[in-house]
Amino acid sequence: MIHLDDITYVRLGTPDLDLAADFATRILGLEVAERGARSLHLRSDARAHTLCYVEGDPALQIAGFEVADAGELARAAAALEALGHRVTAGTPAEAEERKVQDFIGFTDPSGNRIELVLGPEYRGPRYFGTRDAAITGFNHIGLNSTDPVRDEAFWTQVCNARVSDRIGDIPLMRINKIHHTLALVRAAGPGIQHINHQVVAREDVLRSYNLLVRHRVPIVFGPGRHPTSGANFIYFRGPDGMVFEYSCGVDEIEDEASHRPRSFSFEPASLCMWGARPGGLIKGT
Amino acid sequence: MTVSTIAAPVYARLPVTDLSMAGRFVAEVLGLPPGPVIEGGTCFRASQRQHDLSLVTDGTAAACGFECRDEAAFEGAAETLGAAGFTVRRADASECAHRLVDAALLTRDRSGNAIDLVLRPHFNGRRCHLLRDSGIRCLHGFGLRSTDIDGDLAFWAALGATVSDRVGDIAYLRIDDRHHRIALHPAKRSGILNVVFAVESLDQVMQAHYFAAEHQIRVLHGPGREAVSGLVFLHLAGPDGAIFSLVTGDDVIDGRPHRPRRFPFATESLCTWGSVCTEVPEWRTETVL
Repeated sequence: MIHLDDITYVRLGTPDLDLAADFATRILGLEVAERGARSLHLRSDARAHTLCYVEGDPALQIAGFEVADAGELARAAAALEALGHRVTAGTPAEAEERKVQDFIGFTDPSGNRIELVLGPEYRGPRYFGTRDAAITGFNHIGLNSTDPVRDEAFWTQVCNARVSDRIGDIPLMRINKIHHTLALVRAAGPGIQHINHQVVAREDVLRSYNLLVRHRVPIVFGPGRHPTSGANFIYFRGPDGMVFEYSCGVDEIEDEASHRPRSFSFEPASLCMWGARPGGLIKGT
Repeated sequence: MTVSTIAAPVYARLPVTDLSMAGRFVAEVLGLPPGPVIEGGTCFRASQRQHDLSLVTDGTAAACGFECRDEAAFEGAAETLGAAGFTVRRADASECAHRLVDAALLTRDRSGNAIDLVLRPHFNGRRCHLLRDSGIRCLHGFGLRSTDIDGDLAFWAALGATVSDRVGDIAYLRIDDRHHRIALHPAKRSGILNVVFAVESLDQVMQAHYFAAEHQIRVLHGPGREAVSGLVFLHLAGPDGAIFSLVTGDDVIDGRPHRPRRFPFATESLCTWGSVCTEVPEWRTETVL
């Protein structure tokens, strides 16, 4: 079994790096770690970067997960190859672009590009956002799935993910104590469905809501509160249509052994206990 | 902190043009259950008391009711306000019956706002079961319009209220351990600006926000958070120009020495989250969003 310890980064292609930089700093509130001619590294926590825009096709969407050591990385590569996944080893130059020691890449059964990384770089100075978004860090992603049942089996049987709760056919899965690090959402093709950053307090979500409205940022869903994780949230659209989320108050699963996933019916009230409606964020709601 | 003559807000009396329509708003939106049958209006409960809100059609003015600390405070208030030249009249038996209290002083501040100072508001043995899960717990306070801020401040000072903070010329007045129960707003006319109910938590404020959207009820300001008190608020447009506010949060000052702070009359003073009010003149800080 492949042991994922944490989610590390997201890499996104974009035709307009300036627009991405403007959004990331002025709206989202990330810190520019490095601005290259063809790439933009952004920080949201103690790590050297958690989001990277690279000049290119917005269809390029990669999620990176951390594994413990070189042995784990080698075992993961062997396990994936044995299952018929094509595994590519990262070159030193590519590893440097990702600010990691080493990595391998593969695609999940839906075609999502996943990278398993070793030793992501941390930075001494703490993350300091360009605006007061009160971000505490990059937390989780939603991943498109063309077959949530098949993909859940991949993430829970080939990898170490555990289902915390389900909303209809959407499994919310954890790889550590946090309620979910990965959610699989039914879609026509691969891609990252949303990117989540946690904020300090419940009210920071509402503070940001007013800022988003003022800057005419399309609100996709919220402000609201998930009954599953207890988190306050707001989803909004950034460059190239990517959906970002701020949330606060995600529960931790304290008792790993005794936790039984709950199944919530597939309706708006299962996604928000305040009454917000997920406008097109999730098919069928 | 000096001990105030008045202990707590107890009721709001609001004149309405269409009793059944206004009553539907209170029942279906706020979820307040009816209280005892009274003449000249309908009364609603929001707490263990018989009467927290009444809608009246008997020609009387909008009034906010405050409970006096005790009989000595009640008599003292009659004397102090009378001596200071404010209108004070003892309510007769039928006026007391309408208000569901044992005794009342019907007074007016300098702007002409009707303020009832009451003794022994009546309670109900049965707890208040809301008609809908709006999470309302009790009447929390009032916003008042003032055409004479200094005159009205003198009225409240005579009752022992103290200024907690100011936003521009808006004065937030304290009578107990909460940041404020009365907010005096400079205005072109007198009257009750808003009636404030406390709800359980942020969840209920946000649920009301979406409930309002689904039921075509105008949200006049919020969801937001007052910089002065830290209360989360949502101001809803009610019938006949009334504004009903739902608030939640920890606004206990708790006897700590508190020197009034002055905030500018600006968006972020009225709402630290940045929500903007464009429709209510007393809260309008920006003309165009």
